[in-house]
Amino acid sequence: MTFELADVPRLMPEILLTLWGSTILLLDVFTRWRSGPEGLRERSYEAATMALMGLAVIFALVFIQGGYLINLPERVPEDANPLTRAVIGALINLRAGGAEGTVLGNAFIVDPLTHLARLTFIGAAIITVMLTINYRPSRSPGEFYSLLLFSTVGMSFMAASGDLILIYLAIELTSIPLYILSGYFINDRRSTEAGMKYFLFGALSSAILLYGMSLAFGMTGSTSLDDIAAGMRQGSPLLIIAMIFVIAGMGYKVAVFPFHAWAPDVYQGAPTTITAFISTASKMAGFLVLLRVLSTGFAPLAGTARLAAGFGGWASILAIIAFFTIIFGNLGALPQTNAKRLLAYSSIAHAGFLLLGMLGVSTLSTPAMLYYLVVYTLTNLGAFGALAIIAAHVGGDEISDLNGLGWRSPLLAMLMTVMVLSLAGVPPLSGFFAKFYIFMAAWEQGAYWLVVAGVLMTIVSLYYYLRLLKAMYIEPRPTETSLEIPRWSKLALSVSTLLVVVLGIYPSLILGVLENVATRIAAR
Amino acid sequence: MVNAVPLSWVLIVAAGLFSIGLFGALSRRNTVGILMGVELMLNAVNINLLAFWRYLQPADATGLVFALIVITVAAAEAAVGLAMVIAIYRTRLTINADEVDTLKG
Repeated sequence: MTFELADVPRLMPEILLTLWGSTILLLDVFTRWRSGPEGLRERSYEAATMALMGLAVIFALVFIQGGYLINLPERVPEDANPLTRAVIGALINLRAGGAEGTVLGNAFIVDPLTHLARLTFIGAAIITVMLTINYRPSRSPGEFYSLLLFSTVGMSFMAASGDLILIYLAIELTSIPLYILSGYFINDRRSTEAGMKYFLFGALSSAILLYGMSLAFGMTGSTSLDDIAAGMRQGSPLLIIAMIFVIAGMGYKVAVFPFHAWAPDVYQGAPTTITAFISTASKMAGFLVLLRVLSTGFAPLAGTARLAAGFGGWASILAIIAFFTIIFGNLGALPQTNAKRLLAYSSIAHAGFLLLGMLGVSTLSTPAMLYYLVVYTLTNLGAFGALAIIAAHVGGDEISDLNGLGWRSPLLAMLMTVMVLSLAGVPPLSGFFAKFYIFMAAWEQGAYWLVVAGVLMTIVSLYYYLRLLKAMYIEPRPTETSLEIPRWSKLALSVSTLLVVVLGIYPSLILGVLENVATRIAAR
Repeated sequence: MVNAVPLSWVLIVAAGLFSIGLFGALSRRNTVGILMGVELMLNAVNINLLAFWRYLQPADATGLVFALIVITVAAAEAAVGLAMVIAIYRTRLTINADEVDTLKG
């Protein structure tokens, strides 16, 4: 279990992200002499473009390392001209650097899931940075963007780690920057309150998670997920307790019932672009940790989601949690008057739907959940991003602040409509296909009652999603002045909307990749 | 010598400490008090880890390393948490969690 030189390219995206985050932090320190609103705006723009450039390069690197460049030949063609050969040779070398394998025993696993997760997290970070460029200028922009990058590093470690110690470290590396970012505007009462609540719930959930981990370590004598699964064959009642504590701790992180209470407050109070990041990337990272821990480490305790056949194992627990999460999330969204809070409850409901894909590890469930996660990430980034633009112009994020948007900015209203309809699961958008696919997965696992509840609650959810559309198109418009969308935000929203539409029409575009991920997970 | 105190006793102490910490974190109104409850829970985890290491596999350093990492991260977390408390105090002149209630609904 030693660190080898060949492991460096496997960790390259994380290493580069960390170095780039530190660079942004340092460069901002050197330009601190520029004060005043004008200087601050320049510094903010510089830090944001630096972050954007770095993220774009690392995104390209991950894209190549993950083998998504499907046209790339296996060998350098002999008859091409020297320049083409040099480029193809470099690309092939980069791809070879991301070869599957593990680093430091089984601590860090590089497999198709890791590549997919990195790609999604870095993509989400890119969209967040683009949305933030024209958002409220922060006092120290270098800190803001470097914290965002560090948090992205933590997320990709979360998705890749196969060892309890590294999982804990990665969760903290993700969470601590996010606590700071959600409480970032320290003169804003709502922002500091959101930061404090996020911190308190996060710290509590970490402690609960750790207690479960310590018991699992003690009962099996190892922190590696593979060895935990092997050591679990003897069986011990303490292992059940460990499993419950781990599920509870991770349940806090991904905000499922009964651990969802913090989410609406934090999502409402945090800066909107950070809400977009927390509600998508960090939730996805949490689900991937759950997937790795439960499907690998606690595999012998899987149980069944078919509750009539007997209660036991994590599948039964997750089925019950999913049922209440779907009900509470959707019913909680009904009376909301604040658009951010409404989307927060909707994201709790979506966490419930996502759990339907965790009821067992099969070649149907796992791709369904991953597809749902990718689509949900894109959609919620877009929806919260649109709210950020509206809030920056109108000065509030109540539903009534959306009034007349269809006339004030037809483009923004159209993008928002696509996002909201996709969240509601209206065909042919990808949200529909994601729900359909995940219901099929739950049906296959035998959770028929859950599928019925899910379909009924999807119909209920139409009511509150349509309220947003009603505000934009039907309510009387307060003013006729048109609403300017900043250039970068327009680009970010258009890209995510385009992907939501395209993935809905051609789901097979990524389903092949996702099925490959699932077979590798099942083979572990 | 090692078995002067059975492992189960140590685990019971840790479980008790964890419960006290959880109760403190859930029942306290003062934000710093909540933080102290969480620290107690983390210390219970450390006792667990070290007990498992000492009694079951003293040759393998895994439990020791885990406990060290928990201590380090807990310190970083507490630093961020106390900074949050100060930020809250500056805007509201209170750190009572019940009075920090702008966001609800």
